[in-house]
Amino acid sequence: MLDPQSPLVPTPDADHDWLWLIPALPLAASALCGALHYIEARKRLPKPAAGGHGHQGGHGHDAHAHAHDSHAHDSHAHDSHGHAAHHDDAHGGHGHEKTPAGVAAFAPFLAVASMLVAFALSLKGFFLLRAEGAPEAIRASNWSWIDTGSFPIDLTMHLDRLSSVMTLVVTGIGSLIFIYASGYMKGDKGYGKFFAFLALFAFSMLMLVLSSSLIGLFVGWEGVGLCSYLLIGFWYEKGWPAEAGQKAFVMNRVGDACFLIGSFLLAKTFFTLDMAMIAADTAGKLPEFGPKLFLAGLFLFLGACGKSAQLPLFTWLPDAMAGPTPVSALIHAATMVTAGIYLVVRLNPVFAASPELLTIVGVVGVLTAFIAGSTALVQRDIKKVLAYSTVSQLGYMFVGLASGAWAAAVFHLVTHAFFKALLFLGAGSVIHGMHEEQDMHKMGGLKKHMPATFITFMCGSAALSGLPLLSGFFSKDEILAHAFAHGGVYMGIWALGVATAALTAFYTWRMVALTFFGKERFDAAKTHPHESPIVMTLPLMVLAVLSVFGGLLGLPPVFHVAHALKEWLEPVTRAGDAIIAARGAHVLSHEVEWALLGLGSVVAIVFATLGFKKHVGGTQCDQSFAATRGRLHAFLSDAWTIDTKYTHWIVQPVKLLAFVIAVVFDQFAIDGLVNGVAGFAKSLGERTRRLANGKVASYGLWMGAVTAILVLVLIWNR
Amino acid sequence: MANALFYLMSVGAVAAALGTVLARNPIQCVLSLLASFFCLATIYLLAGFQFLAAAQILVYAGAIMVLFLFVIMLLNLGNPGTDDTTDTAMFRKKGAFVGVLVAAATMAAGATAVTAGALPEAAQAMPEHGIDEIPALAGEMFGRYLLPFEAISILLLATAVAVVVLAKRDRKDAPRKGA
Amino acid sequence: MTVPHEHLFILSAILFAIGTAGFFLRRNVIVVLMSVELMLNAANLAFLAASRMHTLQAGATQPSLEGPMFAIFVIVVAAVEAAVGLALVIALYRNQQTVDLEQVSALKN
Repeated sequence: MLDPQSPLVPTPDADHDWLWLIPALPLAASALCGALHYIEARKRLPKPAAGGHGHQGGHGHDAHAHAHDSHAHDSHAHDSHGHAAHHDDAHGGHGHEKTPAGVAAFAPFLAVASMLVAFALSLKGFFLLRAEGAPEAIRASNWSWIDTGSFPIDLTMHLDRLSSVMTLVVTGIGSLIFIYASGYMKGDKGYGKFFAFLALFAFSMLMLVLSSSLIGLFVGWEGVGLCSYLLIGFWYEKGWPAEAGQKAFVMNRVGDACFLIGSFLLAKTFFTLDMAMIAADTAGKLPEFGPKLFLAGLFLFLGACGKSAQLPLFTWLPDAMAGPTPVSALIHAATMVTAGIYLVVRLNPVFAASPELLTIVGVVGVLTAFIAGSTALVQRDIKKVLAYSTVSQLGYMFVGLASGAWAAAVFHLVTHAFFKALLFLGAGSVIHGMHEEQDMHKMGGLKKHMPATFITFMCGSAALSGLPLLSGFFSKDEILAHAFAHGGVYMGIWALGVATAALTAFYTWRMVALTFFGKERFDAAKTHPHESPIVMTLPLMVLAVLSVFGGLLGLPPVFHVAHALKEWLEPVTRAGDAIIAARGAHVLSHEVEWALLGLGSVVAIVFATLGFKKHVGGTQCDQSFAATRGRLHAFLSDAWTIDTKYTHWIVQPVKLLAFVIAVVFDQFAIDGLVNGVAGFAKSLGERTRRLANGKVASYGLWMGAVTAILVLVLIWNR
Repeated sequence: MANALFYLMSVGAVAAALGTVLARNPIQCVLSLLASFFCLATIYLLAGFQFLAAAQILVYAGAIMVLFLFVIMLLNLGNPGTDDTTDTAMFRKKGAFVGVLVAAATMAAGATAVTAGALPEAAQAMPEHGIDEIPALAGEMFGRYLLPFEAISILLLATAVAVVVLAKRDRKDAPRKGA
Repeated sequence: MTVPHEHLFILSAILFAIGTAGFFLRRNVIVVLMSVELMLNAANLAFLAASRMHTLQAGATQPSLEGPMFAIFVIVVAAVEAAVGLALVIALYRNQQTVDLEQVSALKN
């Protein structure tokens, strides 16, 4: 067993109990917001005498939802070509009927306040760890959840350098998104409920990043999955959001099962579920338990694939765009989907232990990145472009992890959180201004109608496409450099990564061109696009600044400046780095580094310009592509038909099995058995009833017969 | 010779009993039963119970059977056309036949089992005036069995009253013509 | 008469069986009552046979009088029972116009 005095496994200390406040505050806010919503909803219940026309919020769209139902279930989310009627993906209650919020108007204040206080506490933790002579990690007092004697399952808040980065991201970006959402969701009849769910999500995510053991992490893991389901299906009256939520949840479940198997394997090997202890002890267990560590890592990676939407389990993320845009920004860009990355970095020695596992991670990551990137090229819905872009960038993060560049992956995580949240919020602003229109082919020339949104969106797009000196450039480049340095199979990964970078630049600027530039492809008299209120544009501006200057966190070594994030995370990644270094070091000479930086810049600039030029004129490029290369277009826009294959090969057979069990087994067999027992009792009763026929002679006969039998028995037994 | 008479009478008793149970017309049943009683009385006599034989004839054959006949005549059940043919069809059913056989066999077996090996010789000399001499009987009746004697006399009284009450015509029944 | 005692008992059993059969299986109430009389007679015969057995044991000094006594009481009770039963039959006939047991099933089900 590990020496518990190791610096990475701090002793629980009651002085640090304020750490428990960080997740607890959003939880309290969630409960209060829920209460406010409940009070409000009860007030709005239709009086028994009235016709029950209380809230029309989602009803007017029911006919629309029914029209959708006639299609196959999954064609909703994927058919972005030719499906013009998708503008209702946005609000259910907006634009048609605004419901005043009543007492629920206080909900955002509670939620934002809790998040801001949590952010302040995270800052406190950050500075605590930054001080001179500070420990590498601190823990709050222990809570013994299940005491089984030999295997105690304890839970405590563990703040180390990685956790502090994550909490800062979650609470910081979370606060901005909460502020944004208070403007975006105004007038929705579920206003209070929305913030209750958001705050609950914040609680789960904070539990996830602050827990010391895999069990606590799993609680958070499941919690974010639950909140994702609740929030994706927030406008469930429309029909398809509920299906999207269910799809997300079920796919996550598959990942969760793998996660559990992985943690069981780890528990068996290390006899503890405390992550710091596992990380510190891996090097010792490596020679003996190599294959087991490989399996554990593999299953944990599969769990991460579910949560972070990687190759086998990514099709839920585009469907999840059915939820409100702040949800997409928070959950599916900045926080929940990064949980997988966090898990891998936290347990980096386990993953570093087997090079085969790292190769698998890298291959899966880059393939996902490429597939998602190519799909984003042909999407018409602005949110879908961003969704596939998210999947693609997550793939990059996994490539970083595979190359052993843990800090690079976290760096990309942070910068991606900045610019992707910005892009989503900007898209939300556009959608809000365009009155729920999401089809880019119906936009155009918005830059003069929504200047603030336009500028911030440009900053975000520049960062995403990796234009030089912006945050995205540095993080993406660092990952690709590490992949290049690895050599071998990683060269192929590097090449595909560069191709994906090209695609990224292209589709990003295509999106910008179609949305903000060119002729207006809508009737300006009917839809009046307007800029969003300050409560929505302020967070955009903050995030824009971060996107532009966030690169300072991790400047490459050729600049002769320390890589701030890498140094900061060194204690966390030390163990994994050591294991990898034992297998041989990969170093890049300065010349190669400059060459790669140059290549990255060139690729980004060239393809960005290309994408922009081809689409600034309008939709002709898209339409000609769809016309001339129809099959390729269809293949790409359906995400390489992966989801349709899932529906065909997995969902339909399971439904068939369910039908068989429900009808054949349950109805025939079990109901038949139960009814048969009842029927038997009934027929037995009927037959026995004939005994009471009112005829004395018959009664006498029976009595006599039994008496004779009794006499016989008595004589026999004498 | 007494033995032969006994066996003859017992066959007669059984045959008459069968006749009672199997006859269709109630009058035939009564007459068969009467014959059975006569045979039984003879058996009692042969066994040395003279008083009982006489009592059997007087009471059973002379009073009870007459009562039965009275009632049958009263209810007009004795006409040849009125008996129900399904009455005895019952006996032709397999169950009845087997049942009776089993019952008889059981009882016979029981009888033999109970008495097997415990019976003394029957060749002892009979007491001179039979087993139930009247003085001895009277002595028992008014001696040891005084209470049962009184009880059955009350019983007879009660019966008389009961019969009158039970068989009385209800006041609402129309009185007979001319009465 | 030197008939073995068992034979008297067997005769009693046979008569009792026949009486039982008639009691259970005939539909006419009066015949049922007559079967009862037959059963009682069979019982009487059994009592007397037992009395004879006890009297004729080795060294029979006194006659065993329990048998005949009981037989007398049985006769009386049989008479009583026949009378009451027939009174009931008359009442039944007045009510239902039938003495067929198959048809008096008002207590059915």
